[in-house]
Amino acid sequence: MVRSDVNLKQRYRAILSYTGSILLLASLLMLAPLLALAVCPEESAYSMGFILPAIVLGGIGAVSWRTLRPRKPTVLTVQDGGVIVLLSWIVVFLFSSWPFVVVQELGFTQAVFESVSGWTTTGLSVIDVAGTTHVILLWRSIMQLAGGAGLAIIMLAAIAGPRGPGLSVAEGRSEQLVAHVRESGKLVLVIYGGYALVGVLAYRVAGMGLFDAVNHAFTAISTGGFSTKPDSIGHWDSPAIEAVTIPLMILGNLNFLTAYLLLHGKFKPVRRNGEVRLMAMLLPACAILLFLLVSRGAYAALGKGVRVAIFETVAALTTTGFSTTSYANWNSIGFLILMVLMLIGGGTCSTAGGIKQYRVYLLFKSLVWEVRRRFLPRTAVVANYVWQGERKEFVTDRRVREVAVFSFLYLAMYVVGAGILAAHGYGLKESLFEFASALGTVGLSVGVTAASSPVGVLWAEILGMFLGRLECLVIVVSVCKIVRDSHAMLVQRRRRAAEQDVKRA
Amino acid sequence: MNVLVVGGGKLIYFMCRTFLSKGYAVTIINRDRDECTWLARRLKAVLVCGEGANPQILEEAGAATADAMLAVTPNDQDNLVICQLAARRFGVPRTLALVNDPDNEEAFRQLGITDVVCTTHILSSLIEQRAGFEDITNLIPIGEGKVNVTEVVLKETAPVVGQPLSDVGLPENSLIASMLREGQPIVPRGTTVLQPDDRLIVITLPENHGQVLKILTGDMK
Amino acid sequence: MASRERLFTIIVGCGRLGSYLANRMSHDGHHVVVIDIDESAFDRLSAEYSGFRVEGDATEFAVLTQAKIDDADLVIAAAREDNVNLMVAQIARKLFHVPRVMARVYDPQQAEIYRDFGIEAICPTSIAGDVFLQSLVRSPAANEEGTSQ
Repeated sequence: MVRSDVNLKQRYRAILSYTGSILLLASLLMLAPLLALAVCPEESAYSMGFILPAIVLGGIGAVSWRTLRPRKPTVLTVQDGGVIVLLSWIVVFLFSSWPFVVVQELGFTQAVFESVSGWTTTGLSVIDVAGTTHVILLWRSIMQLAGGAGLAIIMLAAIAGPRGPGLSVAEGRSEQLVAHVRESGKLVLVIYGGYALVGVLAYRVAGMGLFDAVNHAFTAISTGGFSTKPDSIGHWDSPAIEAVTIPLMILGNLNFLTAYLLLHGKFKPVRRNGEVRLMAMLLPACAILLFLLVSRGAYAALGKGVRVAIFETVAALTTTGFSTTSYANWNSIGFLILMVLMLIGGGTCSTAGGIKQYRVYLLFKSLVWEVRRRFLPRTAVVANYVWQGERKEFVTDRRVREVAVFSFLYLAMYVVGAGILAAHGYGLKESLFEFASALGTVGLSVGVTAASSPVGVLWAEILGMFLGRLECLVIVVSVCKIVRDSHAMLVQRRRRAAEQDVKRA
Repeated sequence: MNVLVVGGGKLIYFMCRTFLSKGYAVTIINRDRDECTWLARRLKAVLVCGEGANPQILEEAGAATADAMLAVTPNDQDNLVICQLAARRFGVPRTLALVNDPDNEEAFRQLGITDVVCTTHILSSLIEQRAGFEDITNLIPIGEGKVNVTEVVLKETAPVVGQPLSDVGLPENSLIASMLREGQPIVPRGTTVLQPDDRLIVITLPENHGQVLKILTGDMK
Repeated sequence: MASRERLFTIIVGCGRLGSYLANRMSHDGHHVVVIDIDESAFDRLSAEYSGFRVEGDATEFAVLTQAKIDDADLVIAAAREDNVNLMVAQIARKLFHVPRVMARVYDPQQAEIYRDFGIEAICPTSIAGDVFLQSLVRSPAANEEGTSQ
């Protein structure tokens, strides 16, 4: 056999084995919602809806993990990581929709929608939460919590995880806190868990019940946005609760490296960080704009108007998607501001979606540099940089190109997706808003998303959420890689069969 | 006095020319044969071709009987090793290393090099002084930085202008060592009246440095 | 690696030796920072390497501080030049009190001298030389066909 044949096969064995271990982990997570039975034992009738898929998923995972385990330890490149991420997320989505079909009695499309919305931390929902069981509600929040952290990070912290940064880079989490990727993964989980704990306590203090506090803390820090109430955070109409939610959303949106630096008291690199600066500029600016242009017209009470302006701005930019209002009496400029915020999105290497603040910041700075360059002598040499954590990243043309291409791809997908929605008969404003929300994994809705929506709309949004969470370029590249590699392996097999025939002849 | 020098370029040439004119016996170690030939033709020094950090070369160059070793190559790390070998292996009493990185100045002293010279530091303060950017120039750190020698130019608006030196209340452990008036050096006495454009050479300790400058110029620098 | 405790390691020089050590140590779970003056040297690191990279001249104080040398448990100086290794090793040991410091020094004489100063100097030249000589002692006859001894 030619060396390359062996390598490809070995590669894929390793890939499937790692995928198996991730599936095993996900199956354990599927059992977690059963903890809600402690509060409402009457729902134990539904437990099979979770236990069964968990067993099947766990079975598949465990089997592929052990049997396909490579004899020699294989090194995982980023491309391999991409394939693993793609495969595992798709399988996890499918199995996660099982409880929705069984317990919630949703159709297949709707169930997949809800499960994708959970794992991608979007928050758009086709469920009427008023009459939903606690186990389902908790499952939604757990999906968002886990999806926010990222399966890769969880894998890394687990002892059986793969070595090397290939997996987490592929999932869009390339920031590293300390000089070893495993330790870094553990630290991220610790920080993340800390956020969740603080969130639960804070909500309790602000007056939420325990079940609601847990659910909302999970979905706030994962910037997911699922709620246990149909009106989301608006249900409580409480400044205290909104005041707890806003910092939680901002924390969840913050790059983990920045959070790590903050925890260690290193404020200087945080202040220099482009994303922090962008956020510090955008949030107040947009909040004020929203207040002046929208709130004054839409809400009678001044206090309510201020609260809505601030809350919606943060919810949109951090791509969380909690809402404190229905958008019934909002004018178009309000929608536009929110859409822009949703498209810009959250920080890189955080749980947020969108084009990501780093890219927008970089493109903006590139504009500034370009203008400045025109004033310098023709042969001047410049070294433009942005701060990444504690060190300067010197921005090369290649980097700007990568960012520009990504942004173009994102906007192209946005236009196509919004087009699909509009083609189904929804208004332009609604289509643009809703798809920005899906692609950016935000979760704010003007009503396009519902159980009764056309199947085409739901699948467009599912694809949007998936591409938005997993950095579309990774998905595209991984799909191409799988196609190419399968073709290569097929060719090899045919060649080998031909050789055997020749030998026998 | 026997001086051993490792390095090359114009620096070596002019430096050794000065040493030779003072009557020292100079041996130069240089790794480039052509440069050795060039120097040998122009200086009455012993030229050894080889690596200064090589103990064998040092021995051949007579490190055992040298009184001073000057490592003035462009690389900090080479200068460090050369001086350490000279001091510890061959017992050369005085070693001097050139450093480029100002942070290495202190580091080298802690590693046992007697004298460290940081070119960048000295050059930049000399340039500042010559270009007259500041009225206050830190000249030379003396005594391992424990004593400051500073040149202060008195502007017309300085509070001490028009006062005799004895009236200027300088704190303890500070001193106006010398002054230049219209290019002429003067040893100041208590009765010397300070005038605008006087250049005072002030000796201070780090703890009273700011205070002295404030008294003389009226603002903190 | 015998000891199971996690070492924060700084490796100076990402050549063949440096990258080999960095890959192995990162694989074993240690926190590794690699310093090299040339960015393309980092290409020698494997895809699995999950430590940090610092591009800079290790003889510059600021570069060592950037690599967090004051927190290091182990410093390995494996740059191309002996003198760089000796300087980094001494700064690490005497100024930053790093518990374990090792330097690769090609020149056997220098290695000997610095060992007397208390620096752990590993000399590939003398190690290889010893192996060659031992091999001669064991089988002084000419190489037999097909054997590598």
